[in-house]
Amino acid sequence: MGEFTLGRYMPLDSPIHRMDPRAKIMAMLLCLIAIFIPAGWIGYGVMFVVISGVILRAGLSFRFVWKSMKPMMIMMIFLFIMNCVVLRTGDVLFTVFGISIYKEAVLQTLYIVVRLLLMVMITTCLTATTKPLDMTLGIEDLLKPFERIHVPAHEIAMLISIALRFIPDLIEETQRIMKAQESRGVDLKEGSLKEKIMAILSLIVPLFVSAFQRAEDLANAMEARGYAPGEPRTRYKVLKMTTADWLLIGCAALLLAAMIVLARMA
Amino acid sequence: MSITFENVSYIYSEGTPFRYEALSEINLEIEEGKMTAVIGETGSGKSTLVQHLNALLLPTKGTVHILGRTIEAGTQPKGLKSLRGDAGLVFQFPEYQLFEETVIKDIAFGPKNFGISEEEALKRARNAMKLVGLDEQYEERSPLELSGGQKRRVAIAGILAMDPKVLVLDEPTAGLDPMSTVRMMELFRKLNKEHGKTVLIVTHDMEQVFRYCDNVIVVEHGRIRTQSSVSEFFRDSSVCRGMNILPPAMIRMRDLLNENGFDIADTVMDTEALVNAVERQVKRHG
Ligand SMILES: Nc1ncnc2c1ncn2[C@@H]1O[C@H](COP(=O)(O)OP(=O)(O)OP(=O)(O)O)[C@@H](O)[C@H]1O
Ligand SMILES: [Mg+2]
Repeated sequence: MGEFTLGRYMPLDSPIHRMDPRAKIMAMLLCLIAIFIPAGWIGYGVMFVVISGVILRAGLSFRFVWKSMKPMMIMMIFLFIMNCVVLRTGDVLFTVFGISIYKEAVLQTLYIVVRLLLMVMITTCLTATTKPLDMTLGIEDLLKPFERIHVPAHEIAMLISIALRFIPDLIEETQRIMKAQESRGVDLKEGSLKEKIMAILSLIVPLFVSAFQRAEDLANAMEARGYAPGEPRTRYKVLKMTTADWLLIGCAALLLAAMIVLARMA
Repeated sequence: MSITFENVSYIYSEGTPFRYEALSEINLEIEEGKMTAVIGETGSGKSTLVQHLNALLLPTKGTVHILGRTIEAGTQPKGLKSLRGDAGLVFQFPEYQLFEETVIKDIAFGPKNFGISEEEALKRARNAMKLVGLDEQYEERSPLELSGGQKRRVAIAGILAMDPKVLVLDEPTAGLDPMSTVRMMELFRKLNKEHGKTVLIVTHDMEQVFRYCDNVIVVEHGRIRTQSSVSEFFRDSSVCRGMNILPPAMIRMRDLLNENGFDIADTVMDTEALVNAVERQVKRHG
């Protein structure tokens, strides 16, 4: 689990790291929309090149992105098998063990895999370069206009920031409890079904206990410092959009437009 | 026979920007049958070090020899489970590992994992409860409803019930009241002296080191600063003062007396001998 990199912030110093979180979030949303426009392989190729450029500019390695992808491998294999079973149109590509694999199924799966890959790359560009706290500030600001229709922007942002704040803690806690139980002879890999259930219980129960404990502690600590939801608060960090930030949004919008044009042409 | 570390390094999160070398090139020899203290500042790597003893952490570099087994960097060691039964590790703040419905079941969980029958495990659990000073009324209580100190005892009993040959304790008395602390330390000494268990204890309390332990290991920034017998370590108090460690009260007393005109040899290492020495010198002058 120490290898868990999806959504993790990488403390580096790059132009991408220094950008305004609002700009990055907007750009990410535009790019995510762009993924779902069926612009064909050329379109995906263009996106891949552009996003790879951003990843390199942010000082991230492809190995890091690859590690983020790994947890999804099982899902993708499952998807591939499902597609092969369900989609039975088009030309037969080849036959294994008497099961014919259709071209359509392979293509469909490939499309999904490529989209997922691009999605992970894009979200990584955001999460790996933006501190969780900056991210929530950004989300809060972007949600501000919706406050008029009674969207609790600040509360949502606070919820997200607390959730993000606790993810590394919970991962660490899980590792610690795992080690403690392993010291007591728990074997998470081997053993009968009953032993496996016990092993999982021995992990889940302490994890819940400590998560609730943490939640309570945090609530008390916040109240002790006068936090009241819904009350106006000042901010320590004030976000400011620079030219580079506007340019980033502009480029993302351009990319989206290019995808739409490509899709039209196809 | 002893437990040895040869050029052991441990690196957390290798290959990421979070990479952190918690242990560097450690060489150590821990005598079996002795009680050894591991001391050092917060974050110096004590917990990282002791987790190598039951192979919870595998060295990034180097080799650990323990109880006839060899754990080498880069190889997947065999017989891990039996090692974990033989080298019992009580974690720092172990109270978070409790999960069973009742105290007795939780304590019996460890031995059962090592293939001990239900009946025998419960017997051992009762015995371990007695050892840590939890009386029978706690048997059927939920471990989650106990106080912090009581939970700690349950957790320690859970390891004792496994009857390990080597007992590793990571700050077992942190946060316990003074009475319970003394009782715990007496228990560890008894396990060491009467049951012949090798005890390794991480602590910040120099009085404990001085009073209960045979040997001491000082960890500093992931390296071993010194390794010696306790009497050697505290004999000349300038040594530990030089490492920013406050010597135990008895040694400080001796230093104060010497600063004020007494001439007490540094071989005087316990209260009784100190009182005798003072008495002799006062009489000689009087
Ligand atoms: N899971 C981990 N991932 C990354 N770094 C870690 C991890 N655990 C510990 N460290 C780092 O390794 C160093 C040594 O930690 P360790 O827990 O061994 O210290 P310690 O001597 O036991 O301290 P304490 O007296 O506070 O218990 C610390 O600087 C810590 O930040
Ligand atoms: Mg520690």
